[in-house]
Amino acid sequence: MSDTLVKPSSAQPAPAAPKRRRNWLAIAATAVGLVLLVLLPVIIGTEVAYLKVAQYILIGAVGGIGLTLLVGQAGQLSLAHPFFLLVGAVSYAVLSGEAEADLVGLGLPPVIGLIGAVAVSGLLGLAFAPVAGRLRGIYLGVASLSLVFLGLWLGQSLESLTGGTSSGRTPPTFELFGFAFANSEPAPTILGVAIQKQQRLWFLFLALAVIAYLLARGAVRSRIGRAWRAVRDNEAAAAAMGVNVTRVKAGAFVVSSAYAGLAGVMTALWLDLVKPDENEFTGNYSLTVAIAFLAIVIIGGLGSVPGAVFGAVVVYGLQQFFLLGANEFGWFADAEFGGLTAVVLSAFVYGTAVVLVVLFEPGGAAAIGRRLVGRRAPAPVPAAPGGRDTPERNDDDPRA
Amino acid sequence: MIPGRRAAVLAAALASTLVLAACGSTADQQPAGEAGAGGVKTDKGVTDTTITLGVMGDNTGPFKNLGAGLNAGNQLWADDVNAAGGICGRQIQLEVVDHGYKADTAKTLYPQLEPKVLGMVQLLGSPVLAALKQNLIDDNLLAAPASWSSEVLNNPSIMMIGTTYDLEIVNGLAYLQQQGLLADGDKIGHIYIDGEYGGNGLKGSQYYAEQHGLTITEAKITSTDNDLTGIVTGMRGEGIKVLVLTTTPSQSASALAANQALGLNVPVLGNNPTFDPALLDSPAAGALGALYVAASSPPFSSETPKAVEVANEYKQKYPSAPVNAGVHTGYVEGMVWQAVLEKACEAGDLSRAGVATALTTLTSVKTDDLVTELDYSSPGAPPTRGVYIAKVDPAAEGGLTEVAPLFTASEAEGYKAPYQQ
Amino acid sequence: MTTFVQLLVNGLGKGAVYALLALGFVVIFKATEVVNFAHGSLVLVGGYLVYELKDALGWPTAAVVGVLAAALAGLLIERALLANATSADHNGLALLTIGIDVIITEEIVRRVGADIPFIGDPYDAQPIQLGAVTVFRTQAIALVVGAVLIAAFLLAFRYSSWGVAMRAQAENREAAALMGIRSSRVTATAWLVAGALAGVAVLFIATQDFSGAGLGRGTHAIALVAFPAAILGGLDSTAGAVVGGIVVGLTEALSAQYISFEFSKSAVFLVMLVVLVVRPSGLFGTKELSRV
Repeated sequence: MSDTLVKPSSAQPAPAAPKRRRNWLAIAATAVGLVLLVLLPVIIGTEVAYLKVAQYILIGAVGGIGLTLLVGQAGQLSLAHPFFLLVGAVSYAVLSGEAEADLVGLGLPPVIGLIGAVAVSGLLGLAFAPVAGRLRGIYLGVASLSLVFLGLWLGQSLESLTGGTSSGRTPPTFELFGFAFANSEPAPTILGVAIQKQQRLWFLFLALAVIAYLLARGAVRSRIGRAWRAVRDNEAAAAAMGVNVTRVKAGAFVVSSAYAGLAGVMTALWLDLVKPDENEFTGNYSLTVAIAFLAIVIIGGLGSVPGAVFGAVVVYGLQQFFLLGANEFGWFADAEFGGLTAVVLSAFVYGTAVVLVVLFEPGGAAAIGRRLVGRRAPAPVPAAPGGRDTPERNDDDPRA
Repeated sequence: MIPGRRAAVLAAALASTLVLAACGSTADQQPAGEAGAGGVKTDKGVTDTTITLGVMGDNTGPFKNLGAGLNAGNQLWADDVNAAGGICGRQIQLEVVDHGYKADTAKTLYPQLEPKVLGMVQLLGSPVLAALKQNLIDDNLLAAPASWSSEVLNNPSIMMIGTTYDLEIVNGLAYLQQQGLLADGDKIGHIYIDGEYGGNGLKGSQYYAEQHGLTITEAKITSTDNDLTGIVTGMRGEGIKVLVLTTTPSQSASALAANQALGLNVPVLGNNPTFDPALLDSPAAGALGALYVAASSPPFSSETPKAVEVANEYKQKYPSAPVNAGVHTGYVEGMVWQAVLEKACEAGDLSRAGVATALTTLTSVKTDDLVTELDYSSPGAPPTRGVYIAKVDPAAEGGLTEVAPLFTASEAEGYKAPYQQ
Repeated sequence: MTTFVQLLVNGLGKGAVYALLALGFVVIFKATEVVNFAHGSLVLVGGYLVYELKDALGWPTAAVVGVLAAALAGLLIERALLANATSADHNGLALLTIGIDVIITEEIVRRVGADIPFIGDPYDAQPIQLGAVTVFRTQAIALVVGAVLIAAFLLAFRYSSWGVAMRAQAENREAAALMGIRSSRVTATAWLVAGALAGVAVLFIATQDFSGAGLGRGTHAIALVAFPAAILGGLDSTAGAVVGGIVVGLTEALSAQYISFEFSKSAVFLVMLVVLVVRPSGLFGTKELSRV
């Protein structure tokens, strides 16, 4: 690189974190929000398709949270997220699926399968960590792309695990203590709405997402988060302060991959299908998804956990919503012959959002959010996954 | 934000929850197994005046042209039936969606379509079919697949129309050998899309190779790999005598172009999905002559009387639409559905279960030679084994000329499909 | 043996096109340290115009318009967007190009729609036989055009005032600015040149000979394969881009035959990964030092 020096970060003292005031209103709002989410299947009623959209958003949120930790908090740009999604999805099917003629399946209980899938994804993240540790910024980003291609190849060639690119394999139904996340007769009802497969999956996804969210917030606020940010802002300085840089970087990769793995399991359950992609540019584990996750993270504000959730609503939610509208109400009726389609329109929206964020509000939605709630936002945060040449960031701010 | 405003927002949110919850709780219950007009039992997709059938087709993916032909064929059939007074006193309605040959899109669209239809008159694509397999079984929804893999015949919800890919290839290779283009002990190449479409075709090659001591050089690709030059280069090195394709049209074009460019110039065998008349306008046009198409339904330009009738009707109704073999295939899908519905109507049961039962009682469905006579009484076995052979001909409508009328090779008679009892 | 020679010929022809694309990445990176993720969409812009105009204007004129349009699109992106993103550093700008890429790509893929048009009319699917070896005309012309353009570029880079300014800026931005080099002009020119190279490359990519498919999402994906080419050689090395392009072309062709077809796409990226692990700045790239 031409500038052979890493500029020392223009260290300005971080503003002292104000005392956390437990505002009853905030608590009430959170509670109402949660109640709303829990009651969503009832609110939606028989229009299950909308529930599918909501489920899909949670997949984006879980994956997005994982990526924002890695890119925003730990400063490692990764486009490898789809690979770990694939690993998670396939691992779940292999661990808990039944062995069939051409398919490997261990038939373990689905809960073990889910946890195992997350663990396998994390371990593979660990395996990539030595590579990630050697590279920085955009070089790491492009190097991580190779994992997407690796996933493409493995998905195609390991048919006994993945089911092949054409039709894939059916993931096992999720079960928890004998309760199956599938249709049943008769089904329990809440306020007259039958709680069938999709409703049950929603509760499962919601629980997983809430756990993922809380763990991420916890990590960001704890010593782990501080170590990530120290490494992001200046590796040498972090090392001087006694942070084991290699370990911290590897740790971030593991955590992020595990999140992606969970999102992968959710994708499998959502689609009711585990199917590796046929090419690198379209599909559930493709470059498009890598870009979409990056967009989630950028739109939400690098490093912000709630921001990632917001980003998921924009990127994952809109696409599915448009897709739904296209079929339900005949939007984009001319789509067949080059008109606007749901996918195109949502790509426009999130592409534009990324451009606008970088141009005008590098802190993303998180920064806007902070401003909206009237608290004094910290100085604008530059979007810099490389973490170099950047002034202090405050996305570790617990108020984020 | 000032506390007062926030409280107001909260209150509003809370109120709306309650309202919405109330709305949600009045979820409608669908009556099941009701007796409708004429004392016929019905459940989903059938009213007193209409029978709604679904079409999950491809208008935007690799088989978009074939898909357009299929959809038109389905519609022509529905129009004909409706003009003749419908079935069981009801008019046929089609509910059409486009999945672009993508399993995951189909998986999302299916739950929206399923409650509206009795069954599917067309479900295009092996990957889609495989992904929806369990859904079809769970919903007891009978579907006529526009994909012809014998690997799916273990699914009772599948109503195969025409013969399967493996048998198409067996018949096709037998034809080439009859023509002296292939000899016992030769080497052949087979390029196939992984999954049931390509893999099932490969089963046919393998079976025929066993019978005749052929060696096969196999190459597996995905449905979006478009440059097959390298593969054909390797096969040229192997000295293949015939190249078999179970690929998409643009992949066929690449293989055929390479076949010519590299001076290999062997006959190429494919089936319906491998060819699309649009290829005649592509740079590969000059190389298409080597392609033989073995398919269970006739080429568009076929002189089979029913085929001529349907073709004329199509040209009249869709004067500017592209012509391809999908039109006849789509039409014959409808004809078989008609046989099933009429049988179910006779039995007084147009529910999904009734339709499924009706299918198994059909032992000889005749389609005016659009496909060979169909027998649905032995689940697991292909309902029929005959094919038409056509050759690329730029002068013919639909780009294919029939070179052999409907026939069944002796090797095809002896072939045992994967789930055949 | 014939097979091997044939594969070498195929691989080299493709390598030349990858080199053109990789050079585009490198030019921009050298001038601005921004990795241009929107390169694939510049490729599509050029190709789309050729497709739209070739019937009306004739292929040669349409091709020239396409190249110019891709160049202007590059310039426009830089002037209108990147130059205004004052609060973003070069990594932030790279993310910005991702957003741009998504928009342009979706729009053009949508416009092309179901057509997937081939745009190599004068030379596509007209192979030349040299003994047992077939030379695809598209690849042959790509090789010649690529060699000429790359030579011209390297000469300009070495001797023209733009080249000097560019190298000075790449060496040290502040010092170059102090010496009176107008950074904005150098940067804008870099985008212009990169766009033009993308516009030339697409004339060969969207052909039966090269990709077996016309202009569409796949074309964009091919442009992405030039990423490893650029990174392999070293993002700031022009010679590296050329070497990288050819390595990528050959790796793809040979691994498809001798390992497996499915593996060939990944092979390129795995080679890149190995190179990066051994030499984090690529084969010919400048080493990055870290000092506190």
